[in-house]
Amino acid sequence: MPVQTDESNSSEAGLRPDGPKPALAFNRLCKSFDGIPVLREITARFMPGTVNVLAGENGAGKSTLFKIISGQLAPDSGILVVKGAPVLTFDPRHARGLGVSIIPQELLPIPDMKVWQNLLVGRERVSALGFLKRREMMAEARRLLEEFHLDIDPEAPMRRLGVAATQMIEIIKATSRDSDVVLMDEPSSSLSSRETEELFRAIRLLRARGACILYTSHRMEEIEQISDTVAIMRDGAFIRQAPTSTLTERQIITDMVGRDIEDLFPNRVIGANRTPVLEVRDFKVAGYPASTSFTVHAGEILGLGGLVGAGRSELLEAIFGLRKADGDIRLDGAPVAGSSPAKSIRRGIAFVPEDRKLAGVLTSLSILDNVTLPHLAGFTGGAGFVDNAARRARTLDVLRRTRTKYARLGQIVAHLSGGNQQKIALARWLVTGTPRLLILDEPTRGIDVGARSEIYQLIHDLAASGVAVLLASSDMPELINLSHRILVMRGGAIAGELTRDAVNQEGILRLAMGKTKDAA
Amino acid sequence: MDVRALLLRYALVIVLFVFVGVLGVSNASFFTLSNFNVVLLQVSTNALLATGATYVILTGGIDLSVGSVVGMSGVVAAMVAQRDGLPWSTAAVAAGVAAGGAVGLLNGSLVAVARVPAFVATLGTMTIALGIAYVLSDGQPISGLSDAFLAVSDHFYGFPVPVLLMVAAVVVSWLLLSRTRLGLHIYATGGNPQAARVAGVNLRAIRLTVYTISGLLAGLAGVVLASRATAGIATTGTGYELNAIAAAVIGGISLMGGRGSIFGTVFGFMIIGVLDNGLNILNVSPFYQLIIKGAIIIGAVFIDSTLNRKDD
Ligand SMILES: Nc1ncnc2c1ncn2[C@@H]1O[C@H](COP(=O)(O)OP(=O)(O)OP(=O)(O)O)[C@@H](O)[C@H]1O
Ligand SMILES: [Mg+2]
Repeated sequence: MPVQTDESNSSEAGLRPDGPKPALAFNRLCKSFDGIPVLREITARFMPGTVNVLAGENGAGKSTLFKIISGQLAPDSGILVVKGAPVLTFDPRHARGLGVSIIPQELLPIPDMKVWQNLLVGRERVSALGFLKRREMMAEARRLLEEFHLDIDPEAPMRRLGVAATQMIEIIKATSRDSDVVLMDEPSSSLSSRETEELFRAIRLLRARGACILYTSHRMEEIEQISDTVAIMRDGAFIRQAPTSTLTERQIITDMVGRDIEDLFPNRVIGANRTPVLEVRDFKVAGYPASTSFTVHAGEILGLGGLVGAGRSELLEAIFGLRKADGDIRLDGAPVAGSSPAKSIRRGIAFVPEDRKLAGVLTSLSILDNVTLPHLAGFTGGAGFVDNAARRARTLDVLRRTRTKYARLGQIVAHLSGGNQQKIALARWLVTGTPRLLILDEPTRGIDVGARSEIYQLIHDLAASGVAVLLASSDMPELINLSHRILVMRGGAIAGELTRDAVNQEGILRLAMGKTKDAA
Repeated sequence: MDVRALLLRYALVIVLFVFVGVLGVSNASFFTLSNFNVVLLQVSTNALLATGATYVILTGGIDLSVGSVVGMSGVVAAMVAQRDGLPWSTAAVAAGVAAGGAVGLLNGSLVAVARVPAFVATLGTMTIALGIAYVLSDGQPISGLSDAFLAVSDHFYGFPVPVLLMVAAVVVSWLLLSRTRLGLHIYATGGNPQAARVAGVNLRAIRLTVYTISGLLAGLAGVVLASRATAGIATTGTGYELNAIAAAVIGGISLMGGRGSIFGTVFGFMIIGVLDNGLNILNVSPFYQLIIKGAIIIGAVFIDSTLNRKDD
């Protein structure tokens, strides 16, 4: 039975004479995969009523630690203590019983079930006769969605929801139960600033109620906004835990990556020339009432901003041929009719989708195969055999530049950390291919600051070499600093355009939310 | 949904109605109450098995053992039912159903606990159950069953008992799958096991339950068949598992798990039943019947996957 941790109460519980007992503690926790240590003797304590950020590079071991606390993995050695009692059984149901809930990094929707069922599975309301109280559950789901200001029909099938909406459902699932320990593994990685505000509101409520929250994010600005303490992980070890107020962002980054990051964004943006590469005219994506028209030029990075549900991903998918649409698209002046992904790739369009699991990487294939899959023709010799030496060399180069952490080139992608999987999805287009048009949908979702600066440089270099780039991102600094121009979308239509000199976060938000346009 | 999609969605129903219409016009014996009863009686065995298959397939599993279980349970029940009297025939029914449940439990343990892939595990128990049935019956039909046991497949207030059992199994399954926590957990297990696990669903218990239900229903089918055939015969149910799986799949139960409803299964076994009956009345050779049935299965799944692609 979950025991409500009441602060005044627990301090008098007298278990520890030196103050309130921690909600969560580790003592020399270790875990390795295939003999490679991933967590090394982790010792730490986290108090009730606090928000604690875990900061660390991709592959540092954050998700592994969360999986142990939530019972999905068992540690090799060491002790996990939840609310004063050592945990002996590692099983998700047991962990839930102890009052631990988790927002996993890899989202776990059940696509064939309805939204309300996804929200409430595992916590059904049942009548005395054993029947589900459907009406009550539906009302509960509706109430939760409204609380988070989400305009989602609880009866809608889960598969209709995009990544960000699915993320919000996971957030609701984890925050709406009475948990004492809430683990949040990159919950904001696909959210725009407005949804992130909703998330933070929920976190503050949880904290006020006495819950202990562990939070990971690669968005550095969030650390200061939400956390009480920061714990920094490097290569599976805790190298520092301190109150947030005593650390600067720069210190945190240096501790995380083990070196100084001078500038996150590339120095100077090369001006785009005026040769149109992609021309989109009166383009109507199926399911959206409005049509869009715009042009991307050679060497230009065109940013797409907007809130969750503004239709950015849908627009990009339609351009690539993954989704039905009406209207006129031209690539290098020639009309593109009845497009499909295969045709688009042949014509030189590269696409890194928002949902890496669905369309970005093949998780059961090796790193080598994933990076070189779209370019195999280029690595195939006269006799029809793949030149393995050449593709290994190219792949190694890409992995080094994106600072990908992996064990072997033959390792399957499913065994990489989330951020490193994303690097694989990007890597195949960033170095190996030279597309005419590069479409990026949330390209750095879940990627750490160190690797980010490298990736920004790679995107920048590609643009400088004449590639047209279409970039959708919910990460404001990324959008603002990388784009030459930004189109802000709302309700499937373009709400306005901001040029590089006129861009700021407020301007984007104002357009995105439909407030009156200002001339800033 | 446009007209084409509508036509496609109900293509099977339309085909069924056209087929029934043609039969009715061309053959006087089709549209009779007695033939209707014959169809219902004929589908009742497959209905029980297909209902069991629905549970298993919804969790993303498969149960190939049910055909052999039908024979084995029939033999077990017949052995007990050779003695006269109501208590012995009650015991015979219980023993047959329990034998089926035991194989189901074994299937469930192999899949959920020992983590043997369902296809392999139930392929193994399929052979084992047939072997047990042969051993118990020594390869001979077990006849000389008591009148009380034969009454099990007779009428109850004017309705054939097998048909009543079929209706009961479908209604209970409908309530269980759509209205209870167990049902929701079955769908969640098939829809995304990892998500279900993190949400606190006891995957092991769910898998054990669905295979046991499938075994119990197969056991019941075996008992009823032995009573109808007035003998327990080891090979009675050979090949029945394929009809059961076909019915579920025709009815839109996704083999990937997590999608479909029991009414789809009802539709599936009714289609197969009417088709069998109609083709027999029309005197179509059993060899051609096999070809037609195979084509219907593929067509039904094709329609389902085409529609789902549209839905995305
Ligand atoms: N099932 C597995 N088999 C083998 N190695 C694994 C497995 N799961 C994780 N790893 C390895 O463990 C290390 C830590 O991974 P983890 O997912 O904990 O990192 P993380 O800190 O969450 O990174 P990110 O910021 O990218 O999410 C990685 O190097 C990864 O390759
Ligand atoms: Mg992670």
